[in-house]
Order: sequence, then structure tokens, then C-alpha cells
Amino acid sequence: MTLYERFVAAFIASDRWKLYISGVGITLEIALFAGILGMLIGNVVALMKLSQTEDGKPTILNYIATFYVDIIRGTPSVLQLLIMWFIIMASSNNGILVASLSFGINSGAYVSEIVRAGILAVDKGQMEAGRSLGLSKAATMYHIILPQAIKNIIPPLGNEFITLIKETAIVGYVSLSDLTRVANQVASRTYDAFMPLIGAAVIYFIIIKILTILLGVIERRLRKVDNR
Amino acid sequence: MITVKDLCKEFKNPDKSVNKVLKGINYEINKGEKIVVVGPSGSGKSTFLRCLNLLERPTSGHIIFDGLDITDRKTDINKVRERMGMVFQNFNLFNNLTVMDNLTLAPVKLKIMNETEAKEKATELLKRVNLLDKADVYPASLSGGQKQRIAIVRSLCMNPEVMLFDEPTSALDPEMVGEVLDVMKQLADDGMTMVVVTHEMGFAREVATKVLFMDYGNILEENTPQEFFSNPQSDRLKEFLSKVL
Repeated sequence: MTLYERFVAAFIASDRWKLYISGVGITLEIALFAGILGMLIGNVVALMKLSQTEDGKPTILNYIATFYVDIIRGTPSVLQLLIMWFIIMASSNNGILVASLSFGINSGAYVSEIVRAGILAVDKGQMEAGRSLGLSKAATMYHIILPQAIKNIIPPLGNEFITLIKETAIVGYVSLSDLTRVANQVASRTYDAFMPLIGAAVIYFIIIKILTILLGVIERRLRKVDNR
Repeated sequence: MITVKDLCKEFKNPDKSVNKVLKGINYEINKGEKIVVVGPSGSGKSTFLRCLNLLERPTSGHIIFDGLDITDRKTDINKVRERMGMVFQNFNLFNNLTVMDNLTLAPVKLKIMNETEAKEKATELLKRVNLLDKADVYPASLSGGQKQRIAIVRSLCMNPEVMLFDEPTSALDPEMVGEVLDVMKQLADDGMTMVVVTHEMGFAREVATKVLFMDYGNILEENTPQEFFSNPQSDRLKEFLSKVL
């Protein structure tokens, strides 16, 4: 077979390109839902982890958050996905929902560490100044600390989202036809792994390259605010 | 106005040993007084000052502000802090806000003034320190001296009854020390009650009603500036003065 015939077999014959498109759709759908969920969980957990009493002792929220982050970081995400699919949400047959939840809960742990580090990197004098004026801890956090922490948080958060997109390649384990699984299926149908697998790799690469460029623009904008 | 009773503060070191920074301080600050606290590094003077508005929570002892025991857990410390201004060594202006927003944030959010009143007050105070032209810039573009003058104004916008200064000139270029001290002198002349931790002996001599000498977590000596500098009692203070004067 010529290279051209292999290309046709992998992408054009039997309208196979439609499979790749729906695969990309599923990949992005899961990544997007999981990303949003991860950010929500991450922010809440970060604040829980940073909560302490007035004399600096950890609170019960603190222990809960630490426990969650430890569990998530201490187990493989494939296993978390399988547990979610076969045990926790065994009654659901909505694979995208289950995968989004699983990845969202997973990502939340990493996002929480990113947010926590971003908040801790803000000079502690900022909090002291706010408190010395009579502002509450929450008000100082909201008006002073978080707006400054965002600059520290955005770059690693973008990185986490990129990781998340690639990590969704394991949803084939719960029979979702994402980009990776589609490519694999085409390969077994045509007895030719080269074209579909390299093709899928190129598609992932393009998606992430576009995201990287977007992130670069955002980062430069944020930095500009510093140079005024 | 502020009564300090048996104030102790201990920090736990990572190796579990205890570092006693304040060892039972008793002192009474009256309205209108300007107390200047001097002493070597590590003597506990900054910790003493930070205990006065509970930025450090004392290990034991009491601080009574205007009849209210602020070390009591039931006291709303935020309400107390509204009445006590604080100026830091590192300025700590809010980097994400313009100068004007730095000044008006707390009075407006705490509903002490509405936005118009707060802006008027801020404008008037900025004029007094000759920085009105900086109202709309961000702190990053200011010099150290300008930042510290703004920080003083930020506290003043709350109409405090007492002002605490934690080494306000120690992080400044020598050239800029004067402009900050001038603002503080002005404030003293206006009758503000002040507690100032500083290494500026000239300021202590000129402005203080009382000078305290702290070392190893105790107040070793307390006197009027004339007596303090010309007639020191303890050997430790004599030694200290011989080094810094």
C-alpha cells in the first residue's frame, strides 16, 4: 500500500474522519467540565487548607482538605476513574458525566495546591496591613490577597489544564470513544497503526499548541499590570 | 489609654524549645503621649508593639485599651483595630490598588464613611503630605519615602485614636528618612497618641514624651528624653547609647 492509500484508509474511507471529530469532541467536553469542576473544588479546598484559628492552629476543615488531597494524589487517576465508574456511580450509564466528575475531583486536588501556593506567595505584610486597619480576614482575602494571588495562579493553572486534556486519554477504560480510543479502534480495523496513531498525536499537539499561545497572551496581559 | 499588664510572649522554635520574647511587661500609655521604644535587635520591641493591636497574640497578660480588655477572646478585635493605626517597616501598601483606593478601602468597607467622604478625607490628607498628584498611581511606581507617607495617611484615614509605628524609617534610603519623620512630627504636634519603635535617636530626643529602653524582653529603663540620653542609669543602656550615638 502506498502512503496515500494508508492515509485514505485511516481518515477518509467509511467517513472515518467523523469518528476523529466526535473523539475530539468527547475529549474536549470531558476536559472542559472537569476543568471547571476542578477549579471550583480547588479554590474551596485551598481556602479550607489555609483556614486557621486566630492563634494559628489548624481547623477541622484543614484536616478534611489535607485528607482529600492526600487520597487523590496518592492513587492513580485510572484507578480513580474505574472506581467512579464501577463502584461509586455504577448506577449511571452516562460515561461523560462519570469521567468529568472523576477528572474534576482529581484535578481539584492539584488546583488546590496551585491556588494555595499562589496565595501564600503574596507577601504576608499585605494581610497584616489589612487586619491592622480593622478589616476582617475574609475581607482582606477578597479585596487584597486574591487579586494579587491570581497573577501567581494563572500560569500553573494553564499547565494543569493542559495536563488534564492529555490525561483524558484513559477514558477508553470506561468505554468512552475519545480521540485516543477512536484512533486505536481505527488502527485495529485497518491493520495499520501508523496513520491513526500519529494522526491523533498531531491533533492533540495542535489543540495544546493553541492553548499554549492563548495562555501566553493572558500571562503577558497580567504582567503588564505590574509594569504600570 | 492603653494599659499593659504582665505581657508575655513566647514563640515555639522548630526544635520545641521556647523562645521568651516578652517577659512580663507592665506599662501605661496615656492619651497624647508619644512613646518611643528603642533597643537592640531581638530585644522584643517590635513584638511588644505588635501585641498592642494583637497582630501577635500574647501568650499571657492583658492589654486594656480604653477600658476594654482586648486580649479577652470575646472582644471584637477588628473594632479595636479601627481605632488604632499601624505603620510598618515595609510599608505594606496594597499593591493591587491605586493610592486613592488604598486610602479609602477600609473606611468605606467598614462603613465609617461613605465613598465621597472618604475621598474628601483622603484628598485633604494627601495634600498635607504633598502627594496629591500620586492619587491615581499604583504603589509600585512610588519611592520608599512616598510609600511610607502614603501608609501613614492610610492609617489616618480611619481617624485613629492612637498610631503605632514599627520601625517606619528602617527600610528607607537615608535621603528619604527626613520626609517621613517630618510627617510623624507634624502628627505629634497635632496631639496624636503615638507609640514608635525606631532607631532614630534624634526623633526620640525631639518628639518623645517618654523613651523606653528594651532588652531581653523587658523594659530596662524609662525616662524623659533629656534624662534618658544625658543621664542613663543602667550599664546596659550606657553601652547601647555609646554605640548608637
